[in-house]
Amino acid sequence: MKTNNSSLYYILFIAIFAILLPAGHLSGFLSINTISIWGRYFCFAIAALGIDLIWGYTGILSMCQAFFFCLGSYGIAMHLVLQKTALPDFMVWNKITTLPFFWQPFNSFSLTVILCMLIPAALAFLIGFVLFKSRIKGVYMAIITQALTLAMWLIFLRNETNLGGTNGLTDFKTLLGFDLANTQVKLALYFISFTVLCLAYMACHRITRSKFGKVLQAIRDSESRVSYTAYHTVNFKLAVFVVAALLAAVGGMLYLPQTGIITPGRMDVKASVEMVMWVALGGRGNLKGAVIGALLVNFLYSVCTSWFPDSWLFILGFLFVITVLYFDKGLIGLVTTLRARIGNLYLKTAQTTN
Amino acid sequence: MKNSLKFGWILLLLLVAMASRAQDSSSLYVAQLLHPQSDSVRTHAIGRLVALRIPATFPLLMAINDKKLYLLDNQAITIDGKPSDEEKYRLHRVYPDTRPLHNSSGDPLLLSLSQLKTVDIPRADRLLLLPIAPLFNLYSPDAQKRIQAYGQLTDLQDPQVQKILADVVSKETDYNALRIGKESLYAIQLHTAKNEATAKAYIDSIARNWSDNASALLTAYGSGKAFNTNTANYAIEKAKQLESKYDNLQRIQNLFSGLSLGSILILIALGLSIVYGLAGVINMAHGEFMMIGAYTTYCIQMLFSRGYGDWFFIISLPLSFIVAGLMGLILERLVIRHLYSKPLESLLATWGISLILVQTARLIFGDLTAVKTPQLLAGGWQAAPHLTLPYNRIFIIALTAVMVLLTYLMLFKTKLGLQIRAVTQNRQMSACLGVETRRIAAVTFFIGSGLAGLAGCAITLIGNVVPDMGQTYIVDSFLVVVTGGVGKLAGTIVSGLGIGFFTKISEAFFQAVYGKVFILLFIMLFMQYKPKGLFPDKGRIAEE
Repeated sequence: MKTNNSSLYYILFIAIFAILLPAGHLSGFLSINTISIWGRYFCFAIAALGIDLIWGYTGILSMCQAFFFCLGSYGIAMHLVLQKTALPDFMVWNKITTLPFFWQPFNSFSLTVILCMLIPAALAFLIGFVLFKSRIKGVYMAIITQALTLAMWLIFLRNETNLGGTNGLTDFKTLLGFDLANTQVKLALYFISFTVLCLAYMACHRITRSKFGKVLQAIRDSESRVSYTAYHTVNFKLAVFVVAALLAAVGGMLYLPQTGIITPGRMDVKASVEMVMWVALGGRGNLKGAVIGALLVNFLYSVCTSWFPDSWLFILGFLFVITVLYFDKGLIGLVTTLRARIGNLYLKTAQTTN
Repeated sequence: MKNSLKFGWILLLLLVAMASRAQDSSSLYVAQLLHPQSDSVRTHAIGRLVALRIPATFPLLMAINDKKLYLLDNQAITIDGKPSDEEKYRLHRVYPDTRPLHNSSGDPLLLSLSQLKTVDIPRADRLLLLPIAPLFNLYSPDAQKRIQAYGQLTDLQDPQVQKILADVVSKETDYNALRIGKESLYAIQLHTAKNEATAKAYIDSIARNWSDNASALLTAYGSGKAFNTNTANYAIEKAKQLESKYDNLQRIQNLFSGLSLGSILILIALGLSIVYGLAGVINMAHGEFMMIGAYTTYCIQMLFSRGYGDWFFIISLPLSFIVAGLMGLILERLVIRHLYSKPLESLLATWGISLILVQTARLIFGDLTAVKTPQLLAGGWQAAPHLTLPYNRIFIIALTAVMVLLTYLMLFKTKLGLQIRAVTQNRQMSACLGVETRRIAAVTFFIGSGLAGLAGCAITLIGNVVPDMGQTYIVDSFLVVVTGGVGKLAGTIVSGLGIGFFTKISEAFFQAVYGKVFILLFIMLFMQYKPKGLFPDKGRIAEE
């Protein structure tokens, strides 16, 4: 029953996003921009999978996933900027004549990809090590990671850090020689994002089913009991924190060439809470929920901001409150409850007719 | 022959009159200036007045320079800088003496510009005044202008200028202007001093007077203009002393800013900490209650826009507490009471509420509004030269001290406080013993939100009122709560002050942003040793 249920989700998902949407574009119903927008949502969904791992499965509310996401984006963005000019425009304006040392490695694509994953992972390891070692958990963890994101946001806003300041990095032309404005390239990026999302989902699925995943869920339910049974909870938490950071970074890397701009606004306090909210809304502790939540909230965002821009924050705020108060398990939980209700009704009617 | 003799007599008389009584000749030129027969006569008259440099004519020249010279019943008058009532100006006579004009019943005379006759002086003539502009600006009623004028004085060797300067300084009333004036005087005397003892005495006077460029002046004197090396060294040494004293005062100023920032953080974090300790609720909308308090103040200012002076602020203090508290109560009834002891869930839900409140404020009030500082709190206390402690910040510190004291009394000396502490310690046990935990939680929420509202009212003194003002403080105040230990009054105070001081001190070394990062790293390291904050609960309690 349960596997059937899941495969229905998978079939629907693949049917819509791998066949229906591209077909819609090829037959001329959907513009390439719509396709590209969904490509971006997939990147958010990849990051959301990471959040679900660390929050939904391990019970650690990390508010710095947006920061890791941006690290991935900024890395690729630096590479793309260097593809265009030897010295970025804003540095010329700031009267800087030589490329800062930390920009140098981003000249090479392979090095960029490695760094985009290595830096977030290393930072996550460092932050996680310090925080988990001192047994910071729960709300304390949330507040400190939130403050960390705030501090990083402030640093990225500065001009003298040479990361583009408030305007961020934008105006990219080519990636590995492919023109980013080209329809074919956009479609390819869409499919790459889709594939990576599917792979990430499968990987996370395996993790949650493995013994490692079971320990994570045990930590969520009662950390002290897990440690009483001689598990080193710090190591498990550290590992999942690094994995989540990696997923966020990968999402950020794929996100950038499809939007063509990255600003520090992607990782301000608002953005980092919102990312958590995708998972809460879809259903935490459930990987499908994380993906659905990320896709749905972002889809709602683009619909609402174009139809009634003033009310988007009202809708989002209302969704926050309603979800937390009434749909503890998110949309997925809602579907399951409804299904159970209907099933019960069906059973009852069947019994009465009998 | 007869004619030329007569002319010669007149000329002689005129010369005698000019030489003996310059005052009278100035009145002649003033008359020529106000009622010129021709443009050249007026130009000549202005030229003479500039050359004579008689203080009695300065108000008149100032009025010309400001293009505010008018005639009323053949008197030369000028107007106030701003209309005092419905485009009507107060009038002042500028020659032969200066005094405000009154009407027959003794009230200040108010007239509109159309009732006055403008005296037009062409620009070329006004430019003639430029060289002595600093001189007549010394007589300006505006202290700021006088301060500028002291700085612009040239040809200090001229005895007439020295006399005017001495005269003005002796009448000076403004603190800052007096310091600069004295410095100019001392500088003249120092440069003309003929022996070592006098020179040193004047160096001491300059150092004691200590105006803005005292150390620059002494350094310049010491490196060239002094008449022997002894005085030169003395001057340079004094200059260095001033510099180091100045640095120390800057440090004090910095600590003071830290104290006031810390006070604001305490005021916000106080409510946050009590609520979190009691109900286990992380209220991300707490900053929005601050915003509500600030907007309450703004609304009351709007209501009081017609006069009543500072009353609007005095009334907004309790009102901002009540309005924010009531909003908190409503929020507690609607949403938060479902979320007790679920900190992470409450964090998300209250963040949603914060979004709604911010957007509501933006739709109602727009993006930027400001509350004007009450007269009473404008300016600052001049604790020492170069050390001004603004009254509004002193007020915020005092307000925080009072609120902390009241909170302490409430928590530790009243029955309500006892119940709050009981519920904080053990909710179930308190309920078993007959404490109405729900009611206590609601009251606590009211007080906590009210404190935030009060903080918002205080913040209008030092910043603009914007819809998302709460979000700039919320993360910092959570850091205060976390560092201090949840629900601990003493912890909140110590960590609030600590973070406030630390922010300002690190800002002195790094830039503001890096200071913030530094603090964060510090807190993370600190939590290694004290994961439960500064004042953790005593005893060994296993979690869960």
